[in-house]
Amino acid sequence: MQKLIILGILFLVWGCQSATKPNTGNVLQQPWSEIEKKARGTTVNLMMWTGDPLINAYMQNYVVPNVKKRLGIDLKIASGQGNLIVQALLAELQAGKTESELDLLWINGETFYQLREIDALFGPWTDNLPNAQYIDFSNPFIGIDFQQPVDGFECPWGNVQMALIYNSAQIPNPPQDRQALAAFLKEHPGKFTFDNQFTGMTFLKSLLIDIAGGAKELEGGFDEKKYLTYSKELWAYLKNIQPYLWRAGKTFPENVAVIHQLYASGELWFTMSNNDNEVDNKVTQGLFPASSRAYVWKSGLIQNTHYQGIPQLSKNKAGAMAVVNFLISPEAQLKKQDPAVWGDGLVLDVKKLPQTWQTQWQKLPPRKYVAPRSELNTRALPELAPQYMIRLAEDFRKNIIEK
Amino acid sequence: MLARLGLLLYVLLCVVPLALGLGYVAAYSFGLIGLLNHGFTTVHWQAVLQDKAFWQSLGFSLYCAFSSMSIVLISASALLMALRKQLSRGYLSYFIYFPLVLPTLVAAFICFQLWSKSGFISRLLFQIGFLSNLEAFPEFVNDACGIGIIFTHAFMATPFFTLLFLQLYKSEKIQALQDLALTLGATPGQTWQKVALPILWQKSIFSIFLYFVFIMGAYETPLLLGRQSPQMIAPLIIRKLQKFNLQDIPQAYAITTAYLLLLMGVAMAVLRNLKMRAV
Repeated sequence: MQKLIILGILFLVWGCQSATKPNTGNVLQQPWSEIEKKARGTTVNLMMWTGDPLINAYMQNYVVPNVKKRLGIDLKIASGQGNLIVQALLAELQAGKTESELDLLWINGETFYQLREIDALFGPWTDNLPNAQYIDFSNPFIGIDFQQPVDGFECPWGNVQMALIYNSAQIPNPPQDRQALAAFLKEHPGKFTFDNQFTGMTFLKSLLIDIAGGAKELEGGFDEKKYLTYSKELWAYLKNIQPYLWRAGKTFPENVAVIHQLYASGELWFTMSNNDNEVDNKVTQGLFPASSRAYVWKSGLIQNTHYQGIPQLSKNKAGAMAVVNFLISPEAQLKKQDPAVWGDGLVLDVKKLPQTWQTQWQKLPPRKYVAPRSELNTRALPELAPQYMIRLAEDFRKNIIEK
Repeated sequence: MLARLGLLLYVLLCVVPLALGLGYVAAYSFGLIGLLNHGFTTVHWQAVLQDKAFWQSLGFSLYCAFSSMSIVLISASALLMALRKQLSRGYLSYFIYFPLVLPTLVAAFICFQLWSKSGFISRLLFQIGFLSNLEAFPEFVNDACGIGIIFTHAFMATPFFTLLFLQLYKSEKIQALQDLALTLGATPGQTWQKVALPILWQKSIFSIFLYFVFIMGAYETPLLLGRQSPQMIAPLIIRKLQKFNLQDIPQAYAITTAYLLLLMGVAMAVLRNLKMRAV
């Protein structure tokens, strides 16, 4: 029996060894033609969020066949986002694997921060992509992710602006700041809420910036003192409106899809989205009433960018880079921006594109249910350092949910 | 030979993975392994044991499992007493299987669509003028008392226990025992109360315990129909494991270890008790 126990412990210790050697290869030193040659005939495993039928259709019906036809790459899509990606790569690193099951990841700021924390991302590689010349990395909403320079460890893929969505048939003049929202909720209790996940926390960050007097005050790394000062006011504000939130603020939807459902069924008069184009997208699909409108209130809401990252242990970095180069091509970005296709904001600087492509962009029909992006940009707030999100999520639970 | 092979398969497929899994989560919770850990520490255990949310979660899981099983046992017993013949043949003998084929998530979703404030029942009552507005409908899902969670588990488990009781009723020849009790002067009610039900419950005690444990560890149903606070134990573990803060992962493993040890302790006590009764 003792022998068995000792054997079990040895097995456990052996199984938990971290003997990872990053599979860097020499892909970064090779010319692009060589990378494309190396990528041809390979398979790229992409992990991404697959919760939206339009996004899935764009990937399956447009990206997958095009990378196969043009680059000779089989793009396989696996479902997973944020925490699942972190868990998958963390488990691989802990298990001492030398090759990852994944080659490409759709990520955004908080996942980027977590993956950099565990050194799970390959890079810097974005400068090697020919189409990266059209990206404006000097734009802080693109070149900086949650206050961290991307430094070539992730490639911008789409840029979105958070927006509140309301039914204009019920609300002719939606609230334009947090005080107006509080007054509105006292008149119409139970018609507004936010979720307990990424979108809701992004809304809370926007409120925190507003309370702090603007984004400048919270710029840079996490500042504990400032956080404590301004978050105290945030919790006081939320406590004040809590009785007038949906379900008297005793519970919050688990994710934004539930809020969309409650809005569509009329139980809520507001929903929200991290993508300003989503309202056009959802009305087109018939999920939201045609009287729905999206707006960014005067005090501003957060704008952020989502990215493609390559795991440190990916066994097909050349293939992954070739796929990303296609994803950021003017053609793929133009297609993606159409609300009938996806409605994702572009990461390219149109002025940098060849004239023929610039003309294509000028031909795009205007958005129907939300103001043009150029107008919303004046109210865009930058993402805060990732620790703000971590602390807000924890303290929101302690101060609001569990109280 | 076959017995040895069976034992070997059991050890390889059940005991070894369980022991390794438990060893892994325990070692992680004490900081012995894990990329972000830095050696042995009890700090994660202290954080968990001092966290009100953990104890609330444990209590809430027990409450949901106990309430669901109480409803299940009463309903299944009542169904057996009232509809024994119909359950053996006729439409009801088919219909009773329906909730058993539903995946848990689908059952939870049906509950949500039926009982939420903008759900089917609420809309029906509004249409017939019973409610002035949908908001007036009481909270049955995402509510503080876990009504939606309890309802869903009772909905799914009642047919299972009804069929189990029906089989036991036949295999244990309880009808004959009831007839005997009647000849000895018992009333029909007493034959159920003193003879049939104690035998049925006694014989299915291990199934009751297993289902109790299953409900305590439920994930999908409380995720869809519960609140963020109090949370049942599985959503709490997943929250700690997958939320934004990677430093919470060892806490998730500490909760998992504590919960597993607790369940194993209770299971051993129940088993010992059953064996002693058998002797």
